[in-house]
Formats: sequence, structure tokens, C-alpha cells
Amino acid sequence: MEEVQIIAGLRAKDRKTTEYLYDKYSKALYAVISRIIFDKDIAEEVFHDSFVKITKKIAHYEESKGRLYTWMANICRNSAIDKLRSKEISQSGKTNTIDDFVYGMESQSGTQEHIDGIGVKELMIELNEDQKFIVEYIYFKGYTHSEVSEEFQIPLGTVKSRVRAAIQVLKKNVARI
Amino acid sequence: MDIQSYISSGKLELFLLGELTEREREEVLDFAKRYPEIQQELDDLEETMLAFDNMTGIAPSQEVKDKIFSKLESDFIFKQAPKPTTARADTKVVAMSSAWKPFAIAASIAAIVASGVAFYYADKYDEKNIQFIALLQDQSVMAGNLNQVKQEYDQKDAQLDKFVAGDYKRVEMKGEGFNMQKDARVDVLWDQNAQVVFIAINNLNDLSDEFDYQLWAIGDDGPVGIGLVNNKVEKLTLQQMQAVAQAGAFAITIEPKGGSKAPNLEKLVVLGEVV
Repeated sequence: MEEVQIIAGLRAKDRKTTEYLYDKYSKALYAVISRIIFDKDIAEEVFHDSFVKITKKIAHYEESKGRLYTWMANICRNSAIDKLRSKEISQSGKTNTIDDFVYGMESQSGTQEHIDGIGVKELMIELNEDQKFIVEYIYFKGYTHSEVSEEFQIPLGTVKSRVRAAIQVLKKNVARI
Repeated sequence: MDIQSYISSGKLELFLLGELTEREREEVLDFAKRYPEIQQELDDLEETMLAFDNMTGIAPSQEVKDKIFSKLESDFIFKQAPKPTTARADTKVVAMSSAWKPFAIAASIAAIVASGVAFYYADKYDEKNIQFIALLQDQSVMAGNLNQVKQEYDQKDAQLDKFVAGDYKRVEMKGEGFNMQKDARVDVLWDQNAQVVFIAINNLNDLSDEFDYQLWAIGDDGPVGIGLVNNKVEKLTLQQMQAVAQAGAFAITIEPKGGSKAPNLEKLVVLGEVV
């Protein structure tokens, strides 16, 4: 299904299209959330709310302002960050690291998850320390680039170029694996 | 502008992470439109992020999926795959205001007859009588006119009775939220018991000759085509469509001339849910 068809189907509140969207993107969108929120129940709750929000807000989505996946991923990421900063989670004091995440996935039952866990490690392996740090804070801890800059006193321009460099490495690895 | 340094500034990555201000976003979109290299890089980066998310993620549990879809269940309008429809009768236009023609003809005939009578009397009697006959002639024309108005009135009265007696539900179909025509507006009047459906066009653009507007009643069994919409009629003229007993929503799509068996959702123009 082409992106325009998906958008049209969602706007027409078509069940089949919604199921297609779910099957195609739920794993990636859930990853955006579960990287930031380690607790499975809370992550699934945020995913549930985000997905429902996506189907409701699709009428206001503007194609000219960016592609569908980016729009959806931003909704998920922002919901996850909001949740992370709400009292509900911060009291538990849990913070995510890439290693926690990989360990968490490997310890789950089923071989599929196991393979995915190895995927994360392989994707990260070529990141240098600076890049790994950036990926960890932006992807796994839900920091914005300006927060990273402020908290660790790294100039904004440097954060930006490290984000760029880290994603370039990921891009190369994604293509390779 | 140095496109390469713009691409390597990290701005595009932050755009995709949703971390730019509105003004910066506009700038990225504007550059992407103007420079294909920037658009290409944005597309590549989005693919990378999607692939990264896919590779590092595990699927959410089946329970979440079930919960989401049971939550959305009542929102779905197209619940099942569209069923092909077989019957496709042409739409009948019910004339509400164009019944004057037969009466105008009747009035003309009355005038001719009256003229004949006038000539007959003119031969037999004094020329002065002609004046009287002319009055008679005027009178028959007026009688004809009156008759026409009465007929029109009776017809509207009958239609009004039908509406008052019937239990018509008004379903507003709007174009908001769809890409075809945002200000489109067509009302459905539906008597569920009598299964009678009328539509009245408030605002609907013209179509080129190879397309038709098609009305769909969307029920539990999926969308059913209930006739082609004539958009060449006067605004708010009622058109009777095919019978419908069950529907949760009505919609109009643009289809190839003659209509289709299943709606093309990409060309959905207006949609209205039955409340």
C-alpha cells in the first residue's frame, strides 16, 4: 500500500487500512517508545494511547510537513518522553542504557527477540564513545539535543554534528545487516 | 547556498526527531522543496530511522493490539472489505420546482382555443365584442396560470407531507479532513423505516466527463453503492437514491464514469456519520 493510500484509508476510518498500518509500523513505533520506557506495561500503555492518537489526529496531518512515519514516530517519542517525565515513572528512578535495553530483549523468551537483541549490538558496535553517548541520551533516555547540550555543557553545534555522525554510522550498519 | 554543508549540519536529523522550532521546520521543508539533494537525504534518513527502529524493536503484545482495535472498533466506518454491488440503477431526479412546463403548454393551448373562439364570435357578432373576448382570453390564461400554481403547490404539499410523515434523519456529509474538496458539503436525508434516501447538494465541484460522483451507504457489510450523484442540478434540489435499510455512514467518492463496485477511498470527497 502506498503512503497516500494509507493516509486516505485512515482518514476514511477504514479498518483494513488501520490493520495494515499496525502490521507495518507497530514494531518500529513500539521500539521508539520501549527504548525510552523500560517498563513493558507502561510502554505498552503509551503505545496504545499513541496509536489511538495517530488514528484520531490523521485528519490534521499535513503531507507537506513531513512523511507519515516521521510524524507517527514523533507522536510516539513525545508521548514516551511526557510519560517518562511524569511522576508515575520518575519515582521508580529507572534510567535506560543501551546495555539495559539489549539485556532486556535478550532475556525475553522467543528466538525472534533474541535475534533482534543481537541486531542492536551489531548496529551500535561501530559507534565511537561520543556517538554512543549521543545515541544513548537521545534515543534511549529521551533527551532533546538542547538538553544534552545544557546538561553536559557540550556546544549545541557539537551535539548536532555528533547526532549527524551517529546516524550516519547507523545508516551504514542498517544497510549492511 | 552550500547544500552539502546544510545537509551535514545535523539539522535534517533534528527535523526528523521533531526537535526543530516551527520556523526551522519551515526552512527545512522549503529547502527540501528547492533542492532535490536535501529531499533525497531526508528520505534516506527517514528510511534509516525506520529501519533502525524496526531492527531494534520487538512487536508489542497481541493483547495491546486487541485492546487498540476494540477501542477503535466504534470509530471505524469501513469495517469490512467492500462487497461488490450488483444493482446499479440510475439516479432519479425528483423535480421539486420544474413542473411548470406542462402547465405552460396547457396555458398556451388554452390561449389558442380562446383565440379560436374569439374569431368565431367576431364573425358572428359585432366587432366590439372582440374586446370582451380578449378579456375572456386573458382570463383563461390566468386560469391556466392559477392551475399551474395550484398543481405546483399540491406537489410540494405532498412532498412536504411525506417528509413530515416520514422519519427523516439528516446526515451532513462534509469534505473537511479529506484532500479532494475541503468545502464540499452534501446532505443525506434518510428515512430508515421506509428505507428512502434523498440527497441535497450544497456545494460540490464540477467533474470532467470521464468521472461520476457515487454515493455509498456504509453498513456492517461494508460500503454499498446506492447511485450516481447528479451534480448538474440546481443547489439543494432533492435527488432520490437507492433504498437503504442499514448504514452507519454515507460517503461520496469520485469514480470512473458509470460508477464502481467498490469505492476508491483515495478519492473520497465527503463523509458523514449517522449520529
